[in-house]
Amino acid sequence: MAKKTTKGTGPANARQAKIQAAQKSGGGGANKIVVATVVLVVAIVAVVAGVVWSENQRQSAIGTSTATPAGATMGEGYRSFADVTLKPGAPTVDLYEDFQCPVCGQFEAAVGPTVDELAKEGKIKLVYHVLNFLDDKTGAKNSTPAGNGAFCAAADGKFQAFHDAVYGAQADEGTDVTDTELDAWAQQAGITGDALTTWKSCVADGTYTKYIASVNDAAFKISGFSGTPTVMIDGKMQDLGTVATPQGFTKAVEDATT
Amino acid sequence: MTADVDEVGTEAPDRRRERVLDVVGLLARLFLGVVLVVAGAAKVGHPLTSQRAVQAYELLPNGVAGWVGLALPFLEIVLGAMLVLGLFTRPVAVVSTLLMVAFVIGISQAWARGLTIDCGCFGGGGQIGANETKYPQEIARDASFAAAGAWLWWRPRTLAALDRYLFGH
Repeated sequence: MAKKTTKGTGPANARQAKIQAAQKSGGGGANKIVVATVVLVVAIVAVVAGVVWSENQRQSAIGTSTATPAGATMGEGYRSFADVTLKPGAPTVDLYEDFQCPVCGQFEAAVGPTVDELAKEGKIKLVYHVLNFLDDKTGAKNSTPAGNGAFCAAADGKFQAFHDAVYGAQADEGTDVTDTELDAWAQQAGITGDALTTWKSCVADGTYTKYIASVNDAAFKISGFSGTPTVMIDGKMQDLGTVATPQGFTKAVEDATT
Repeated sequence: MTADVDEVGTEAPDRRRERVLDVVGLLARLFLGVVLVVAGAAKVGHPLTSQRAVQAYELLPNGVAGWVGLALPFLEIVLGAMLVLGLFTRPVAVVSTLLMVAFVIGISQAWARGLTIDCGCFGGGGQIGANETKYPQEIARDASFAAAGAWLWWRPRTLAALDRYLFGH
């Protein structure tokens, strides 16, 4: 700037210098502060609005119903075949599954019947941890309605049947579960008549959504827990490659039987 | 300054150099800006996943980490959009660079403490299997974003920035 003014001798240069000086001391500075203030306010409002919106979304995903299935409290897994008397020394098998998870579907197809059999014979205490993290991840309404379906069926003593029906005809990952699919699972599980009516309104109300969310939260607080399916025998995380066959699963259970 | 060199022919190479640096600045701005918008947008609508991603670093109390998880996507989008527009480039670059440095520190401490997490940089996140971690890649990637931010911190003047049209510099 200094260079220019010393160089300029003509009236044109002097006028330009005056204009520049006027611009500098005039609107320029104040303008920037005004713009900065406006932009900062807009930015803060945008972030705060985003947080509020997300929190609402989170709250509505969790729901308000405090119902828990029989025998479980918030955050705890649900024991299937609860009326079976356990054989002495039978280990506890915790299965962490999400109804939307394709690998869980493969696991169930391979080992599901074996697990059911062992539980029925009282050789294992079978505890399901039904998770729904894939709903948030994929944006689909899938794991949560399916989970509600299972726990609403539990009231009718049909948890295991419904669970097996879901994995027998799993909805695609990332897609919303349709009423048709839900009804088909209920039918497969043998829910009929008045029980079906009760079941439908139970599912529609998202009765167990908060419970499922609490179980989901608890699972992800376990050190080393990385997703579904996760199999634990007496609290020890199993290598999926080993327990994903009927023989491997049975052997792991026998090894843990005391 | 540019007005001066117009008049003096011998300063032309300097001017060309300035122009090149302006273009480098533009590229740094668009690179970091687009990355931030994409990273933020990927997390919007997944509040639980986003919260769990932050909590998995085990750096902040769970409640605080939850709020960070909710706010971070929108902060990233705002910063990214301002960089793309070239609005208040330097202050935005300072915040973005510090954010990237914080991410690098967060990932490094997770690695050092033996946590096995996905950084959740572009959505997802949380604990993963020990053989699935990608700490070196994640740190290198975030460091490259930090470098783009540092460039703009050092030299915020860029081509086609809103700053230039609004404030003339």
